[in-house]
Amino acid sequence: MAVTVESAREQFQSRPQRWTKYIRNNASILLIYGIILLVIGVAAVSNENFRSPSNLMNILRQSIIVGLIAIGQSVVVLTGGMDMSVAQVARIVGLTIATIFAAKGSDPALIVPLILLGLLIGTLFGSFTGILITQTHANPFIITFGIASILRGVNLAISTTPIRGIPKPYLQIYEAKIGIIPINVIVMALIWILAYLLTTRTRTGRALYAVGGSERVARLSAIRYNRTVVLAYIFSAFCAATAGLFLLARTGVGDPSAAEGMDFQSIVAVALGGISLYGGKGSIVGTLGGGLLLATLSNVFNLLQVNIYYQQLFLGLIVLITVAAYRSPRST
Amino acid sequence: MSIQTTAPKSSSSRFSSFRPSPRFVRGVDLAGQWAAPIMIVVVLLVAAIFTPAFYLPTNLKTVGIQIAVLGIVAVGQTLVLLARSIDLSVSAVLALGAVIVVQTEAGNPLWISFIQAFAVAGVIGFANGLLITKRQVPPFVATFGMLVFIQGARLAYTKGQASGTVPDILRLISFEQVGPIPAALIVWLIVNAIVLFFLLRTRYGRWIYAVGGNPSAARYAGIRVDAVVIAVHTVCSLLAMLGGLLLSGYIGYVDLRLGSDYNLNSIASAIVGGTTFTGGRGNLFGTAAGVALLILLLNLVVVLGLPIHWQYAMQGVVLVLAVALQGFRQFLLSR
Repeated sequence: MAVTVESAREQFQSRPQRWTKYIRNNASILLIYGIILLVIGVAAVSNENFRSPSNLMNILRQSIIVGLIAIGQSVVVLTGGMDMSVAQVARIVGLTIATIFAAKGSDPALIVPLILLGLLIGTLFGSFTGILITQTHANPFIITFGIASILRGVNLAISTTPIRGIPKPYLQIYEAKIGIIPINVIVMALIWILAYLLTTRTRTGRALYAVGGSERVARLSAIRYNRTVVLAYIFSAFCAATAGLFLLARTGVGDPSAAEGMDFQSIVAVALGGISLYGGKGSIVGTLGGGLLLATLSNVFNLLQVNIYYQQLFLGLIVLITVAAYRSPRST
Repeated sequence: MSIQTTAPKSSSSRFSSFRPSPRFVRGVDLAGQWAAPIMIVVVLLVAAIFTPAFYLPTNLKTVGIQIAVLGIVAVGQTLVLLARSIDLSVSAVLALGAVIVVQTEAGNPLWISFIQAFAVAGVIGFANGLLITKRQVPPFVATFGMLVFIQGARLAYTKGQASGTVPDILRLISFEQVGPIPAALIVWLIVNAIVLFFLLRTRYGRWIYAVGGNPSAARYAGIRVDAVVIAVHTVCSLLAMLGGLLLSGYIGYVDLRLGSDYNLNSIASAIVGGTTFTGGRGNLFGTAAGVALLILLLNLVVVLGLPIHWQYAMQGVVLVLAVALQGFRQFLLSR
C-alpha cells in the first residue's frame, strides 16, 4: 500500500487523537447504537420477559421487515432521492404471490418460481420508477408518492380481503433456522453486506454518493447519472420485494394492508442512522441500527402493553426530535 | 426535436446530446400551463357522453362542495410550493380541526373551539416553518414528521373512535346554497380572491415568488426569506384547518381516515395547474383548474360505478403524469 499523505499524517498522530477523530467522523452511528444498547439495557433490567432469548431473537426477526426496506431506502436516499412506494411494492408482491397460490391450489412446487416472480416484480417496478425519474427530471419524492397511490388502488383491486391458501412449506422461510439463527435474519445480513460492499467498495457506490452530493458535478465528472439512479431504485424495490416475501410468510395470508406505514418508517430508520436526507452523506451501517431501534421500541411497547395509539404518538415524537436535531450538510 | 451534429460548445451539452428545438420547448411549456383546463373540457365531454347522471343537480352539488374543500387546501399548498417548500401535514391538520370542533360537547361555546382550532393550526404551520428555515430540515421530511406526530396525537386523544356531532353552523355552511351555488363554494371563491389579491397586488406576493424563484437572490434583495417561508406555512395550515371544518360539516362525523387523501390531492392539483416544485412559477387560476379536474375525475369513478379504490389509482395517475410533465417542463426551461 502506498504511503499517502493521509496515512502518513495518521502515523504522526497520537493514539487519543485518532480516537477522537474516529468518534467525530462516526458520531451518528455511535449514537444510534449507543441508544439501542441503552434501550435494550433498560428494558432487559426492568422486564424479565424482554430478556428471554426467544424474545431477543424475536426482535431481530421483527426488525428484518423494516430493516430490509430501510437498506434499500438508504441507497436511494444517498442519491438524494426518496422512495415512497416501497410499502406498496412489498404489498403487491405478497398479494400477487398469494393470488397465484390460491388459484393453483397452494401447490408447494410453485414456491421457488413464485419467489423469483416476486423479486422480478420488484425489480421491474424499481426500474420503472428509476427510468421515470431520470427521464422526466421529476421530483422523486412526489413521483414515488404518486406511484404508491396507483399501487394502493391496484392492490385493493387485487383483493380487499386477506387471501388464504399459502402452502405450509412457504411459511418456513420465516420460521426456519440454521442453527439458532433464523433464515430471514441471514438473508437480511447478506443483503446488508451486499449493500455495504456496494456503497463502500465499488465504483457504483462512489457514484451513488457523488450523484447525491451534486447531480451537476457528478455529470461533469463523467459519472453515468441515469444508470446510477435507476440502479438505486431497482435495489430499493428489490429489497422491498424481499421484505414482501417475508411478510407474506409471517402473516400466512396475502394481506391487502400489509406493510402499512413502512415507507415512512424506513425513512425514519435511515434518518436515525445518520444518512443525510439531502443525499450524498452517511453510511449504511447506521441504517441497520435505525431499523433495529424501531423494532426494539415496538417490542418494548408491546411487552408493556402500551396502547397502539400512544405508540403512534411516540413514533411521531421520535421523528420530530430526529428531524429537529437535523443538521444541514451545506447551507443554501 | 432536432439533434445538433456539430460539436456543441456549451457545458451542458457535454453530457447529453439531447437538443430540443425551441418549438418543442414551447409546446411542453404550453402543455404544462394549459393541461388542466383542456383536460377539464375533455372530462366534461366524456361525462356528457358516457354518464349523463354526472349532470344531476345532486351530483353537481357534491362536486361543488368537494371542489371547495380541496380548493381551499390547495390554495395554501400552492403558496407553499411557490415558496419552494411543500406541506405534507395538511391532511393531519384538516383532520385535527374536525376533531377539535366536533368534540365541543365538553361545554365550550362554539367560537372558543374555533379559536382553539385555528390557534393549533397556526402553531403547527409556524413549527413547520421553523423546522424548515431554522433547522434546515428538508421541507417534506419536516412536514411529514409533523404529520406522523399530529396523527399520533389525534389518535391518542380520540382513541381511534369515530365520534361527535358537527355544530349546526358548519353543516349550514357546507350544505346551504346561495341561489344555485353551494355556500362552501362561495367560501372558496372568497379565499381565492383574498389570496389572489395578496399574490398579485402586494409586495408580500412578490416576495413569495421571489423566494421561490431564487432564495439567495431574494436574500440579497433584502427579503427576509425565513419570515416569508414561515408565514407561508402558517397560512397553509390555517387554510387546511378551514378546509377541515368545511369537510366535517359536509361529512357530518369524524373518523380515522378523514381527510387522509388531501396531502396527495392538494399537491397534485397545484402541480397539474402549472405550479412547479422548484418554486416561483405557478398561479391560483391553474390550481383552481387542477382542483376542478381532480375532483371531476374522482367523481367520475363514483358515477361510473367503479369500485371506490380506483380513486387511489386515479389520484396516483394524475399526480405521476402531472409531476412528470412539470418536471420535464422545468428541465427544458432551465437549460
